Amino acid sequence: MSVNRRSFLKTTAGGVAAVAGAPLFSRTALAADTIDVGVLFSLTGGLSIIEKSLSDATLMAIAEINASGGVMGKQIHAISEDGASDPKTYNEKASKLVIQDKLATVFGSYTSASRKAVLPVFEKRNAMYFYPTYYEGYECSRNVVYTGAVPNQQLSNFIPWIIKTLGKKTFFIVGSNYIYPREMAKVCKILIEKNGAKWVADEYLELGDSEWGSMVNKIKNSGADVVLSNVVGDSVVAFYREFKNQGFTHDKLPICATVTSEIEIAAMGAEYAAGSYTSFPYFQAIDTPENKSFIERYRTYVKDPHAVTHHALCSAYFQVFLWKQAVEKAKATTADAIREGVRGQEFLSPGGAVKIEPENLHTWLTPRIAQWQPDGQGKIVDAYPAPIFPLPYSAYGETESNLFCTPKGVDPSKLKG
Amino acid sequence: MAARRVRDVALYLVFIAVIMVLPLFVEDYALNQVARFLVYGILGVAIALSWGYAGILNLGQGLFFGLGAYMMAMSLKLASNTSLQQGSDKPVPDFMLWNAEPGAKTDLCCISKASFLWIPFQSQWFGLAMAIVVPVAIAALAGSIMFRNRISGVFVSIMTLAMVLLVRLLIIDAQPVTNGFNGLTDLGFFKIGDFVLDNYGLPLYYIVAAVLALTLLLTRLLVETRAGLILQATREDANRCLYLGFDVPMYQTFFFCVSAAIAGVAGLLYANVAQFASPTFMDLSFSISMVVWAAVGGRNSLLGACLGAILIHLLEDAMSKTPALVESWKAIIGLVFVLSVLFMPKGIAGLASDFGDFLARRLPRPRRTGLTADPPQVARESKS
Amino acid sequence: MAEVFFIGLSVGSILLLVALGLAITYGAMGVINMAHGEMVMVGAYTTVMARIYLKLGLLASIPLAFIVTALLGLLIERVIVRRLYRRLLDTLLATWGVALLIQQAVRLEFGLSLIGIHIPGLGAGLQNVQVPEWLVGSTHVFGVEINAYRGFIILVTIAMTFVTWLIMYKSPIGMQVRAIMRNPKMAAACGINVERVNALTFAYGSGLAGIAGVMMSGFKTVFPDMGTPMVVDGFLVVVVGGLGSLFGTVAAAGLLGQLNGVTASLANDSLARAAVFAAVIVVIVLRPKGLFSYKGR
Repeated sequence: MSVNRRSFLKTTAGGVAAVAGAPLFSRTALAADTIDVGVLFSLTGGLSIIEKSLSDATLMAIAEINASGGVMGKQIHAISEDGASDPKTYNEKASKLVIQDKLATVFGSYTSASRKAVLPVFEKRNAMYFYPTYYEGYECSRNVVYTGAVPNQQLSNFIPWIIKTLGKKTFFIVGSNYIYPREMAKVCKILIEKNGAKWVADEYLELGDSEWGSMVNKIKNSGADVVLSNVVGDSVVAFYREFKNQGFTHDKLPICATVTSEIEIAAMGAEYAAGSYTSFPYFQAIDTPENKSFIERYRTYVKDPHAVTHHALCSAYFQVFLWKQAVEKAKATTADAIREGVRGQEFLSPGGAVKIEPENLHTWLTPRIAQWQPDGQGKIVDAYPAPIFPLPYSAYGETESNLFCTPKGVDPSKLKG
Repeated sequence: MAARRVRDVALYLVFIAVIMVLPLFVEDYALNQVARFLVYGILGVAIALSWGYAGILNLGQGLFFGLGAYMMAMSLKLASNTSLQQGSDKPVPDFMLWNAEPGAKTDLCCISKASFLWIPFQSQWFGLAMAIVVPVAIAALAGSIMFRNRISGVFVSIMTLAMVLLVRLLIIDAQPVTNGFNGLTDLGFFKIGDFVLDNYGLPLYYIVAAVLALTLLLTRLLVETRAGLILQATREDANRCLYLGFDVPMYQTFFFCVSAAIAGVAGLLYANVAQFASPTFMDLSFSISMVVWAAVGGRNSLLGACLGAILIHLLEDAMSKTPALVESWKAIIGLVFVLSVLFMPKGIAGLASDFGDFLARRLPRPRRTGLTADPPQVARESKS
Repeated sequence: MAEVFFIGLSVGSILLLVALGLAITYGAMGVINMAHGEMVMVGAYTTVMARIYLKLGLLASIPLAFIVTALLGLLIERVIVRRLYRRLLDTLLATWGVALLIQQAVRLEFGLSLIGIHIPGLGAGLQNVQVPEWLVGSTHVFGVEINAYRGFIILVTIAMTFVTWLIMYKSPIGMQVRAIMRNPKMAAACGINVERVNALTFAYGSGLAGIAGVMMSGFKTVFPDMGTPMVVDGFLVVVVGGLGSLFGTVAAAGLLGQLNGVTASLANDSLARAAVFAAVIVVIVLRPKGLFSYKGR
């Protein structure tokens, strides 16, 4: 059979990508002078509005790395696939990238549904998935590097700030009907109660539904003085519009959102969002030279002088550099090498310094709060001085001294306690 | 007519032979892809039966497919390793832990309000059985109500559409029991004795291929029975059939249930092949695209609809390799669809059949004496 | 309580806005137009483009959108629907394909985005529509706080329904349409140019969808996929209301709208949607031809 020839080719051509003690299913890139990575986002379908920008940011990072010499002297070759805004397709394409193309690294996903649909592929075949989007936590996979915010990085600054600085004490929590807003609501409730305020409602609207009449009416009658919005997607625009149309103003009853980003603000019209707040680790309005240069380069790359940048986009960008540093440190491109190499990696991203937490492969990010201005830009009204520890299980009592997610995996006994 | 039947049988056998021999040429990821396409092919057969033969345009076939997938996925979820690591010695799906009622015991009976519904799914064969029983039960209920009330045509389509959207909404809403929008992921494998059906392995592929072959053959036999012929008569003119004394609603309901059962089987196979089940299976666009596959392949032909489904997915897969074509895939499929509905109402199978007839007429025929006359050439609208 | 009623009325008026055009094309011609939602989308995008290129506001876009979508409807009728009059159920499928084409045409900016050209106002992203100042916020009418924009939609819907009723029941061409509804062959025998009237009917129905699109753009998000859920809602209303009955469509829209509004206020919005679907199923089962129908065709 051709086993002998195959293994001969492997050892000579794949010399640099030495497989030191890797388990049976580890895959290495065989080509001698390029390193192949996968890029898996929705380029078509309803989610492509956001995911295309994530794909562009990833490809821009790859182009920049290649322009400055590549990784370990080799150029990066990106294999791009379309998730088509459908978890079924995500699952298929992930299988293709990992099993057929034998890639050890894939950058991708925006929704939790798509991440969950592809996770088994990466875990069963031992490849690494770099996930750039803020999500609900409650995951601890050794095959995923999470570079987006987890609830404690968006809410543990937000809620106390709303209570102390804005002086609001009665919360109306509203979100879209699926797991991310529901988990965020859990964390919200814990933080609200811990800080001495109260919440009067926890309501949900179907994803994609834009009929907000009844919900806003409920807000009016609830006696709340602040709305905590975990609403996602195109519903956001209709929500803010309905809110203003029913006579609310953001100075009396502000909408404090965790998902409303520059993209939704541009679509709804700045006058509807003016005065409201959002909490993200990254805003386009961050006034640093790194960020200004990043926005310039991004706009040039996508040939759109009005393109906006947002949190997930920034993460999609810097996670490629973190991967590069991991590969260079481990001097290999296997999944195990990357996993070990990426622990503790630091980078100066457009949103400030970031670091991969060695224990749980999540990212240290700097929580910020911005208020949207009448011109459509955010104004940073609060920012932590330094990045904070990512705690994917903070809703269940995880703290820095009592970690639930460690390199050994998640400890289920802690989840019940 | 006999010649046509022989030709059909030959086509079926050729197709079955091809899918059985395929693993010699493809393996691993590509084999899994083909297995998925074959599952879509089974769905195509279900649509052809319901639409082409029974005249029932079911815009909610995704309902039966999705339910079949969910029933099987529930059993597979309980069989996965993570379910046994949730802090209890009995399997508990991981998502139930974070949707748990406060202070509840980590056990299927009581961890959330309706979680006891999962208890019987600890048996894989129960899940498999439910994947067929539940769609059939719903089809029987809906069918008997619809057809006994003489609902027909577009109203049936709207009702099936409303049904699939309603169930999709309920499944997404029942997050503690179904994991809502994310669906059931991280499944185990189906075990027959000690034998594990890995979704990239050969045994599962052969099971899918065998089921497709059986489905094709059995359905074809079914439509050639007396019941099948009566069904086709009801498609042509239901009133006339009634006046001739046939219990039209019963035939319609029966075949509606058979179609649902086939879709349920497709669903349970898909859960095994793709290793997940999601509410997106019940999206309206997915249900309508099933109708597109059957329309392009040939709604009146079981094999045609099956091939239509497989062909369209092969095309989509091929086009997704080129960046420019990826973006325009939906536009192209829209165009293909419009053109096929306008100019090729019988689909590719119809074209092939017409071409076959054309060739047959050109071939020299043995001269017959006057003793046995040629059977009269009745213009047949529908291809068996 | 009055507010809940008003919201139900508003939801109903939005349903009616979309369903009116559908009722005309389906009632008059038996054509199932799955591209109707895309017509609404085209109306919305016309508003966006009118603001960018013609500097026109929302109100001025209404007649513009009517013309654009009516012409588009005429085109679709001529090229596609005309060939399918013998196979009416196939119009559902063909128009679904057309809907996909229109959607992708807008998303891909008529193919230009594939070669790197971007037209502002088109494309896959979300579009912004400016609402006139006097329509933002709410006013007090008889002590009830009425959302200005929703009130405006109700007024526009009433106007559209009234105009449609006038045309259908008080004008010569409306009489021809109703004759065709009853029996197309007899109508043709009486000298009515069935083809021309059908084309105009389809164009009018599409034009109504365009106006609906303009109204939608003011409070819903404008993006290429916005049309699909609307055609589903529209069909549910038309089917529940009954074929060919304008009054039935209005009644069904009002009923389903109130059901949605009340359920959403008492329970939650998901249940409200589910209740609407369930109600549709129940109505079709109890009255298979819809709430108000007549014998014809």
